[in-house]
Amino acid sequence: MDTLFVSIAVIIAGGVAGLLLYRQFTLMKLVAIATTSAGCGIGLFFTLPNLFSSAAYTVSYNWLHVCNLAFSIDSVSLFFLIPIFVIPPLALIYSFHYLENSAKKFRAGVNYFFFSVLVASMALVVMSANMITFLLAWELMSLSSFFLVMYDYEVESNRKAGYLYFIFAQGGAMLLFAAFALIYSHTASFDFTSFATIPDQVKLYVFIIAFLGFGSKAGIFPLHIWLPKAHPAAPSHISAIMSGVMIKMGIYGIFRIYLLLDTPTPLIGQIVLVTGMVTGILGVVYALAKQDIKSMLAYSSVENIGIILIGLGIGMVGVSEQNQAMAFFGFAGAMMHVFNHSIFKSLLFMGAGAVLHKTKTKNIEELGGLMKRMPFTGRTFLVGSVAISGLPPFSGFIGEFLIYYGAFQGLSSQKLPFILIVLSIVSLAVIGGLAAACFTKVVGLAFLGEPRTENAANAKECGMSMRLVMGVMALACLAVGVLPEPFVNLAFLGIANIQTAAGFSTASFIVIIRNISQTAALFIGIFILVSILRKVLYARKEIGSGGTWGCGFTQPTVRMQYTGASYADEMVSFFKPFVPITTLYSGIREIFPGQTTWSIRVADIAESNYQRFLTTPLLNFVTRMKWIQHGNIQLYIGYIIVAIVVLLLFL
Amino acid sequence: MESILSFCFAVLIAPLLPAVIQKVKAYFAGKQGPPLLINYYTMFKLFKKGSVYSTSTSFVFKLGPVVGFSTSLMMLLYFPMAEIAPIFSFHGDVLILFYLMGLGRFFTILAALDTASPFEGMGAAREAFFSTLAEMTIFGILILFYRLTGSLSFNEFFSGNHMISLIGEYGALLILVVVGLYIVMLTENSRVPVDDPATHLELTMIHEVMILDHSGPDLALIELGAWFKLLFYAGFLARIIDPFHADNIILNGLIFYGVVTFIYITIGVVESITARYKMPMVPKFILTPFILIFFVTILTMGVLQ
Repeated sequence: MDTLFVSIAVIIAGGVAGLLLYRQFTLMKLVAIATTSAGCGIGLFFTLPNLFSSAAYTVSYNWLHVCNLAFSIDSVSLFFLIPIFVIPPLALIYSFHYLENSAKKFRAGVNYFFFSVLVASMALVVMSANMITFLLAWELMSLSSFFLVMYDYEVESNRKAGYLYFIFAQGGAMLLFAAFALIYSHTASFDFTSFATIPDQVKLYVFIIAFLGFGSKAGIFPLHIWLPKAHPAAPSHISAIMSGVMIKMGIYGIFRIYLLLDTPTPLIGQIVLVTGMVTGILGVVYALAKQDIKSMLAYSSVENIGIILIGLGIGMVGVSEQNQAMAFFGFAGAMMHVFNHSIFKSLLFMGAGAVLHKTKTKNIEELGGLMKRMPFTGRTFLVGSVAISGLPPFSGFIGEFLIYYGAFQGLSSQKLPFILIVLSIVSLAVIGGLAAACFTKVVGLAFLGEPRTENAANAKECGMSMRLVMGVMALACLAVGVLPEPFVNLAFLGIANIQTAAGFSTASFIVIIRNISQTAALFIGIFILVSILRKVLYARKEIGSGGTWGCGFTQPTVRMQYTGASYADEMVSFFKPFVPITTLYSGIREIFPGQTTWSIRVADIAESNYQRFLTTPLLNFVTRMKWIQHGNIQLYIGYIIVAIVVLLLFL
Repeated sequence: MESILSFCFAVLIAPLLPAVIQKVKAYFAGKQGPPLLINYYTMFKLFKKGSVYSTSTSFVFKLGPVVGFSTSLMMLLYFPMAEIAPIFSFHGDVLILFYLMGLGRFFTILAALDTASPFEGMGAAREAFFSTLAEMTIFGILILFYRLTGSLSFNEFFSGNHMISLIGEYGALLILVVVGLYIVMLTENSRVPVDDPATHLELTMIHEVMILDHSGPDLALIELGAWFKLLFYAGFLARIIDPFHADNIILNGLIFYGVVTFIYITIGVVESITARYKMPMVPKFILTPFILIFFVTILTMGVLQ
């Protein structure tokens, strides 16, 4: 446990060093990256061995003589510590070439500082053992990430995105305060272990409030709307860590509060399962509709949160159905997907960052042909895309397989759970298919074909440190897919401390995992054989090259390529009531028409409804109450006194 | 040994059977039709040729046919043709195999988009959409089969005590499954009424337009992969329908491939007597079997407990 605090201290030291050394740009980057990464290394050095021994630790300190800061670690915390310590060093190494504008060196220093605070606070979140510690760490995490999002604050849309994130982070935190207050009113104790003693009825309310609070961090539908705004605004290594690691803290919170409440109420699992399905399907549909590569990746994170929630939900339904296998594989699948998503989503954000860096655009309609111009980025992005679509032999499949396996175990359940499980399996299949469509769109339009603009045509490969990191992550995606056994074991160890997992034998499942690994290897073997066969067939043959066959049309231009909007159109309009599409068409009026424009816009139903039912009425109300704020200090003091007097009457 | 022979036989016969469809269609049109061995000739002709590659394409274009062919071959390696156990099989193999098929589709779509052709993009978009809808039905069927047999493997579906068979105790439900799976087969293998392999425009439809720019051995690999895939689906259907179990392997094989040929003939008949749907109709057509299967799944709740 002390090792962990040492590691957190080193991580913070790295950030502070970055802030102090900002005048020497390169040195600052090197020191900050090296120190913070070393801190993460120390943390990992503690985490992994303890995960294998499934040890649990508890420690507490008195702070300011009032607050008791308590920390405890069990297998779930240890498992979540792995992405927290693995992804940030990679993101930092990537940032070495990504943050290359030395005119913004102070800003880069600040960025490294808040980066290290974010990493440290995420580690503290999963280590916390009472409400005060947890909320302190939680707020630290929200605030530091808010400053990271605000990196390019001179752009107005980025400021707006930052404020939106701030509102959702603080709104979520308020709900957490409410949930904890509800518990405190029953137990009069800040300690996490006291959660289990409150009445069952209260537990349900506590869970729902906390679920919404954590959900706004995780990005469940409809609390996700900050993600597609904040991720494009943040620098890419920040989006990588926010999407890959930070939103998982919401998942951690949901899982932790569920474990702490320890309630048999079946409703909780059903809520999580249904939310997961809605989040997953709508997330991927919106992702499909987006042309901005980074906001599309953000929506895809919403989708993956949905998949993780389906896993958790199946686990919870399994617990309430007393189906141990279902509970075990549901939870393990969720854990596995948390781990996988942290890798491939970071990889994809970094690839998108490289594209943005070299082409100055995030719009896939303005890209194209990058596979030839940025071959390394293109290939790693392709690997990440296959992995995130859940296709074997890459990592995404393993997590989804565990969830499927858990869900299939539950098919013998009774009426309502049965229908929910059937729907969850079908929605997983739909999510998989749509995710594949979504990522073929990105890869096919941004990286393949012909460049649509000058910027894309003149793109160059990105810097060494960026390529290194993306290469490592792509290899990790393949490794998890082909040799899943140690990683699946890691996920099993992650839930080893929880009650459901006690005494569950995974031996027969490990055989299946080995078989999957064999199938993946067999597939790769066949693939290599067929490639060789293809080489042999093409040996000593005439290979010509020419333009694409345009069905007799001989003068094609690059603008005739299929666009992202048309690619997704049919699929998106299938989900019409949830995805309102507005078409703007200026029309052709005169006999010799001038220039016409045609554009379609896809609105996020959550966002437009917030606007309609929440922000607009609120703004109207606030505008009407403006007279209160008149700038007269004496009257303000008068308000305060009146408020205190009125409150004193109630106390 | 038997498994390997069975696999080799399936691989060898896969190009022959689609010629049956062409024969049937020719018969309906009052023509003589091509010889039954036409597909072998086509294949050898394509293998002998070189290729012309579009200057727009990258390595992904060449990856498409290889991945597609490999995934189709994997299906045959894991599927028990004619009551003979497949070469490989394990509990849970259906999931990875259908996902591998998705991988093949993923790369076919990418290869189509790589040509920068507007037509191929259109085909790719349709393929991505329709296959997602078809996947819903497939997973519905897997749910039902898990419910009936408690297993997740092609081999286990068709062996053991709770074998899937029309004459078994759930035969009535399986009729709906057969209908559903038949529609999925037509969809996934680009058959009329979803797609027309002879491609009579509607901006050249789905599968055929995606492979417009492939030529030579690449095209041969794609065609072979498509024939394997069709044989897999027909075999899947035949294993559900086929009620006869002889002790003799050869006899079993004869019956099985007889049923398979019958399915190919019905495809030919369907293609001859129906017109292709307009594209906006297709999603409705593909969703029909999902509704059927969902209905069947719900029936298992009351009827069988």
